[in-house]
Amino acid sequence: MKPAVFLLQRLTRTIAIILLVVVGSAVLIRFAPGYLSDAREMDSRYGDAARAELSAEAARSNSLGQILSTETAGWMRGELGISRQYDVPVLELILPRLAVTGGLLLRAIVFAWTLALCASLIASVRRNPSLLWQTPATLLLAVPTAAMATICLLAGGGGPVLVMTLLVASRDFKFLDRILRKAWRDPHLLQARAQGITTLRLVQAHILPGIASQLLALATLSIVTALSALVPVEVIFSVPGLGQLAWSAAMNRDLPVLLAVTMIMAVAVTFAGMASDRTGEWQGA
Amino acid sequence: MNTKVLASWLLAGLVLIAIAIVVAPRNSYSNQDREQLLAGSSPHHPAGTDALGRDRMVRVCAAFLLSVAGAIVASAATTLAAAAVGTLAAFSPAFLGSVAMLVCDVFLALPWLFLLMMVRSALPLTTSPAHSAALTFLVLAALGWPACARAVYRGALDLRNAEWMLQARAGGLRGKQIARHVLPNLMPLLIPQFLICIPAFVIAEANLGALGLGIGEPLPSWGGMLLELDNSAMLLQTRWVYLPIGLLVLVLLLLETVAVEV
Repeated sequence: MKPAVFLLQRLTRTIAIILLVVVGSAVLIRFAPGYLSDAREMDSRYGDAARAELSAEAARSNSLGQILSTETAGWMRGELGISRQYDVPVLELILPRLAVTGGLLLRAIVFAWTLALCASLIASVRRNPSLLWQTPATLLLAVPTAAMATICLLAGGGGPVLVMTLLVASRDFKFLDRILRKAWRDPHLLQARAQGITTLRLVQAHILPGIASQLLALATLSIVTALSALVPVEVIFSVPGLGQLAWSAAMNRDLPVLLAVTMIMAVAVTFAGMASDRTGEWQGA
Repeated sequence: MNTKVLASWLLAGLVLIAIAIVVAPRNSYSNQDREQLLAGSSPHHPAGTDALGRDRMVRVCAAFLLSVAGAIVASAATTLAAAAVGTLAAFSPAFLGSVAMLVCDVFLALPWLFLLMMVRSALPLTTSPAHSAALTFLVLAALGWPACARAVYRGALDLRNAEWMLQARAGGLRGKQIARHVLPNLMPLLIPQFLICIPAFVIAEANLGALGLGIGEPLPSWGGMLLELDNSAMLLQTRWVYLPIGLLVLVLLLLETVAVEV
């Protein structure tokens, strides 16, 4: 199959997945039993008139078709709809937070990969898995992200970047250690080592190119892991990013904001997956 | 004795101790001793009390039992759903298999915790504590199957193309008979999936609870107890606040050891 046709097929599938995620999220939330209840109706500061208005607003947005048409119209206008909670265009809420979250994710993933790669390269040279390296990674994976963030906050040391770095690094280390350990056992590498080729040369010329496609797949997993940790980390450290916005939107049933954040997350995950698949195929070729 | 056996025995021991503490007379996770708010260790309350005067040891044990039992049930449901979807997709016409995997991809396109948070937050605000616990684990089970179904699909596809299966189908074996042969062969894939899901669900429940979207009070939960760590004044008063996180990490390490060593 021609590369262009294959790429087009993958792109179409990716776009279909993103659209299905957005429509599916709207359906899921609309038909959830609590969709029409509004936290603001329980707030005693709201007067009767305001409560009646809230009920009327909820009743107006009853039909799924209406929700989707309103959202589509908002997206066509380029503002991604109007936030139910803040009464401003969703794009205005998302743009500044996108930069904050992007920076946080980028730093966390870069630090995590550096840490995990260095640790696994050192650890995998030994014949058997060492408890010295495995224990911290296992221990870090056993601590829920929210608890790790709270402990860091209380200790006054480390911020959101540290928590996400530790989480992603410990997960990546587990995979990298296994991949590298397997790579070191390849017969040609054993022979090369026996002939006295330096470890650095072996890593540069044989190990890393050999496991490049697996590293790319792991990179996608890192993005998914980091995105999963985003909500608790941003909420606990009060980082004004997308995770905190999504949490606030979820708590207040702010569907337009939730759909926009959902789409961004889906785009990030599916395109990362597609990019790693594609690059892996090129590497393989 | 290998690590897996040791971890299994330790887990069983912890479960028995927790059951003994929870079912002991006069021990209730919701009993309040209003004379002893945030008290330290004492003969009546070995791990002290929380801000409402409830025995911390009983609550931690109840949270442990609830969380592990809920995670096991949710994991069993997820594994069954994944086995059904994966096997049906593999043995259906290719088009249906592709559609099933597309549905899995749609679920996997969103980070799991984010998806959980979205679904859980859309549930009623006024659910009872027991319902909130059931709903939390139901949501976990309902959203946990796609990754597992993908693995089962690959395994079932390999089985479908195996020579003995081709011969069995050519020999006229019907759907039910095929299932009777396929499912035992998928067990080596399903058992690790089931075991891996248990610690994942315990962590997810704790994370949801810490975001205020987990099991409702007065039912004890890991997430609810982790929220206590937010109160720095409470931390200065008693160090027993760290008991839930300590036990949670221990339980998760044991569960992961059992799952990984399979």
